Amino acid sequence: MNDDAPVYLDYAATSPVDARVAAAMAECLTRAGTFGNPSSMHLHGRRARARVESARAQAAALIHVPPQQLVWTSGATESNNLAILGTARAAVRRGRHLVTVRTEHKSVIDSCHRLEHEGFRVTYLDTDGEGLLDPQQVRTALRDDTVLVSVMHANNEIGVLQDIEAIAAICRERGVPLHVDASQSAGKIAVDVERLGCELLSFTAHKIYGPKGIGALYVAQSRRAALQPLIFGGGHERGLRSGTLPVHQIVGFGVACELAMQSWQSDAVLCQRLRERLWSGLRGIDGALLNGHPTRRVPGILNVSFAGVEGESLLMGLTDLSVSTSSACNSDSDEPSYVLRALGRDSELAQSSLRFSVGRDSREQEVDLAIAAVTREVRRLRAVTP
Amino acid sequence: MNLTWPQPDPLPAPVRALFGQLRHAAEVRPVRCARGARLVHGEAGRERHGTRVRFSLCVHGEQLTRVRFRAYGCPYTLAACEWVALRLESSGEDLRLAVQTLGPPAEWAGALQIPPDRLGRLLVIEDALTAALNELASVPADNGMTESL
Repeated sequence: MNDDAPVYLDYAATSPVDARVAAAMAECLTRAGTFGNPSSMHLHGRRARARVESARAQAAALIHVPPQQLVWTSGATESNNLAILGTARAAVRRGRHLVTVRTEHKSVIDSCHRLEHEGFRVTYLDTDGEGLLDPQQVRTALRDDTVLVSVMHANNEIGVLQDIEAIAAICRERGVPLHVDASQSAGKIAVDVERLGCELLSFTAHKIYGPKGIGALYVAQSRRAALQPLIFGGGHERGLRSGTLPVHQIVGFGVACELAMQSWQSDAVLCQRLRERLWSGLRGIDGALLNGHPTRRVPGILNVSFAGVEGESLLMGLTDLSVSTSSACNSDSDEPSYVLRALGRDSELAQSSLRFSVGRDSREQEVDLAIAAVTREVRRLRAVTP
Repeated sequence: MNLTWPQPDPLPAPVRALFGQLRHAAEVRPVRCARGARLVHGEAGRERHGTRVRFSLCVHGEQLTRVRFRAYGCPYTLAACEWVALRLESSGEDLRLAVQTLGPPAEWAGALQIPPDRLGRLLVIEDALTAALNELASVPADNGMTESL
């Protein structure tokens, strides 16, 4: 990256591929490498299969599950779709009700909307003003015909962590499977499926310095028969996800998981320190408001609203930074973040928010530059506001 | 093959240039209006709806002498306000004529390469100018708003 490039503070959107990951992937692309189709029975195929299974073991180790309980997908969006649509459609004779939360990722919300079109009922639970779900709400929402509960671990916009263990305990009491979207937590904090107690868990490579286009769904042994596939044609992944396995991406994911296992603790310490430094600087701006619980959150995500400042102008004025706005920049509807609206932020505040997310490569100087740039731009825009 | 994509900046160049230098973003202070000039304001939009624009105009006789704005909105809105203020102030014309010369918002969008889905924002700017014209029509020539400092 050249020195003129903006400071990257959008690791929650995606992360750069680690050079070691890229090197391992490159080994699987050319004739001299492991380019075979892992479904082939010949030597090239068997070598590729060995790399795939080695990566499966690496990815499984990250979340503490047996390797054979992971299904490769194209990413967390597909994992979430498979978990929700696959579980609900397979359980249609048992019931047609699901429970989820208003602040879930769109891939969960839209999967639920799809099911509503198919005749399912979905209960969307509210969080409190800091984005946290009271597990007792899940208990209240469960019905005799509930076939799935889906709650994300760490929120992608505000970074807050839900009490999955408590929610899982309630679901277990009632015999309802729990799906967890762990896209923003796996590889960043400790994610131990046995401890969490869920039956399905989605995670992805590109949030943890792996490649885009590859993810996985953990499916507990007990749930495997109760999951209907979305993609057919070849019966790969034990019939749950057909399609030729992308060996290079899978290998990259595996290496990224192994690296995450080695460094997530030190990464977390660094990210938390930088996030706190960032908030410490930004909170001095008049009208800056932290979105989400101050401590129950993943280390790297900070979401701040700037009262009286239009979000897109703020984002576009920050030419030195790569950060995200929660507003829909490309839409004339200016639909503010549904996550922040669910927290009770009014539409103006929801629209004026920025998500900063730091990562393994972030530095103090970058955070300081971000504080200075945001302070300057907020002042400039406030000065022109009526 | 489209070699222009991805563009390095999501904002069109004219919008980026104007958005970066909002030279006319201020209030016209009464003391900056010449003796005998009228200070009129026009405002439209609401922050809750994403766009709010307020123009302050100094009109001497029928001639527009000073144009300033304040705005809450997207970069396209702010850039268009700056462009409108610049055009009006440099026209040296009667306010009504100057506003007519600007043409409709669709033409502003064309000049600034503003995408069609942002046209609604430009209509708010037009509404603010219309409000200023209406105030001008309702305010007598010597409205006592100017100061002779």
